Amino acid sequence: MSRTGWTWTALVSALLVASIASLLVGEGDLGDDEMRATFLRLRSWRLANAALAGAALAGAGVLVQGLFRNPLASPSILGTSAGASLGGVVVLVVWNGLLAESLASRIPPELLLPMGCLAGAWMSLVVLLVVTGKDAGIVTVLLTGFILSSLFLSVGGLLMSIAQESWELGRAVVAFTLGGVDAKGPRHAALAFPMVAVTTAVAIGWGRHLDLMLSGEDEARSLGVDVRLVRRWVIVWAATLTAAAVAIGGNVAFVGLVVPHALRPFIGEEHRRLFPAALVGGAAFLVAADVVTRALPTTGNVPLGVVTGLIGAPLFLVLLARASREGRIA
Amino acid sequence: MSGLVCRDVVARYRHGGDVLHGVDLEGPHGAITALIGPNGSGKSTLLKAIVGIVRARGSVVIDGDDARAMTAAERARRVAYVPQRSLLSAPLPVHVVVAQGRFTHRHSFARMRDEDRAAVQSAMADADVEHLACRPFTELSGGEAQRVLIARALATGASVVLLDEPTSSQDVRHALELHAVLGRLRERETAIVACLHDLSEVRGLADRAVLLDAGRVHAAGPAAEIVSNEHVAQVYGVEIVDGAGLGYRMLDRTGGPS
Repeated sequence: MSRTGWTWTALVSALLVASIASLLVGEGDLGDDEMRATFLRLRSWRLANAALAGAALAGAGVLVQGLFRNPLASPSILGTSAGASLGGVVVLVVWNGLLAESLASRIPPELLLPMGCLAGAWMSLVVLLVVTGKDAGIVTVLLTGFILSSLFLSVGGLLMSIAQESWELGRAVVAFTLGGVDAKGPRHAALAFPMVAVTTAVAIGWGRHLDLMLSGEDEARSLGVDVRLVRRWVIVWAATLTAAAVAIGGNVAFVGLVVPHALRPFIGEEHRRLFPAALVGGAAFLVAADVVTRALPTTGNVPLGVVTGLIGAPLFLVLLARASREGRIA
Repeated sequence: MSGLVCRDVVARYRHGGDVLHGVDLEGPHGAITALIGPNGSGKSTLLKAIVGIVRARGSVVIDGDDARAMTAAERARRVAYVPQRSLLSAPLPVHVVVAQGRFTHRHSFARMRDEDRAAVQSAMADADVEHLACRPFTELSGGEAQRVLIARALATGASVVLLDEPTSSQDVRHALELHAVLGRLRERETAIVACLHDLSEVRGLADRAVLLDAGRVHAAGPAAEIVSNEHVAQVYGVEIVDGAGLGYRMLDRTGGPS
């Protein structure tokens, strides 16, 4: 079997193992005949939402890394996740707070959240591109992403303070901001699934465009790529995937960085191969991380982002150090 | 005239003055046209203007069709461009990089057809990079990487090929082999325009030459006539001397030996 074949076997096996663990691990005794079906149903939806969010974040990571020609880019590092999160908070505050008595408040927030997240993610990527320009170096992109992320988190914090005036709204905003896939049901999955599925199909179709963009915009243009069109659509796809993930699981960091990076040595750089592998890898990674949050011997809930951050942040530092040693920091 | 015809091309970079001031260029089929001139004279900018990387005014006509009216894909099928260096920093295998030359020949979801594979294979053979097929592009030497870029350009099947200093990173043997590749393309009636620095190479390789100076055409015509002491002295401030150092002797500002 080829290296790619082995990698796919490992990815699918990892997803299967993580999924089985996700069904078996958690509060509640599966030996209880009366409650077993309920526990399994709840855990199944939790599993499905974690898999969708992980796939979406890893896919978004591949896209932004291609767009910025930078393996250190990811939705969380570029501020895209924070932008999506801010968009979600704005929607919650506007619909549940300011329009509390109107018809709009009767629409379930699960329906509106993805729209807010999409607008926030899209806005953050556009601002990043406008500020950094097309040929910005790694440091410029990372610093700008950090500043945008801080800005969005600050505005989100301000809105959260305002939302505390209403107990119900404050609770909803805090729950959304903390993130996690617990208590996520079929409506979340049903809304996010089309966003992930459609974006995935289109993104795979544009894999060769993204491969050419790795040579820089000038070379890509000389080889026949409509660079402006590709940039525009990649932003839309990356923002859509990030928005879907944030709407499900909140601001979960580093999945988009860790998964593509771990797969490149085995799958290669070609987007048509890397993108689908990243989806499966991202799903396996976040399902496993969610299992870890349940398996840790703590009394309270450990947020999902804490586990991904504990794995992703050290890896990011290693990558940054390596890029610095190889003289790729500019 | 068939081939490449540029008229009155004016180009400027976003934050600077004009780099080209009304340049004319003819690159006929079945000929190698050398674009020569000192550093900063606008040679590379002219190639980039032709392929649409640099915005420019004026007329660029390819086999009778206005290049300005073409989409990026149409233009890429007609004109191939080999940059001096690639910005590709991802370790894509060489055969994938060369296959990128077939980008405009395939739809998004289409697999490589037999004719695409044949074009890639032939281009790799012509550029002598078959043995590098599975090597990551980022691990190649400068000369190898440049030959891969040339193979990618050949794979496009374009009738006009533009090369920016194609032999600058090549050792003597590979430079001569590249001359042979360009010679074969010339026999196939391809129009070749190459930026070159080495004037003795121009005399040995090119049929025609266009000498640029500060963004303007100083002289254009048969290579042997353009690479003459008269023009070289006026533009470069040197005198061609057989058997001396680089083959030239410095001239002082009045044109006499220094």
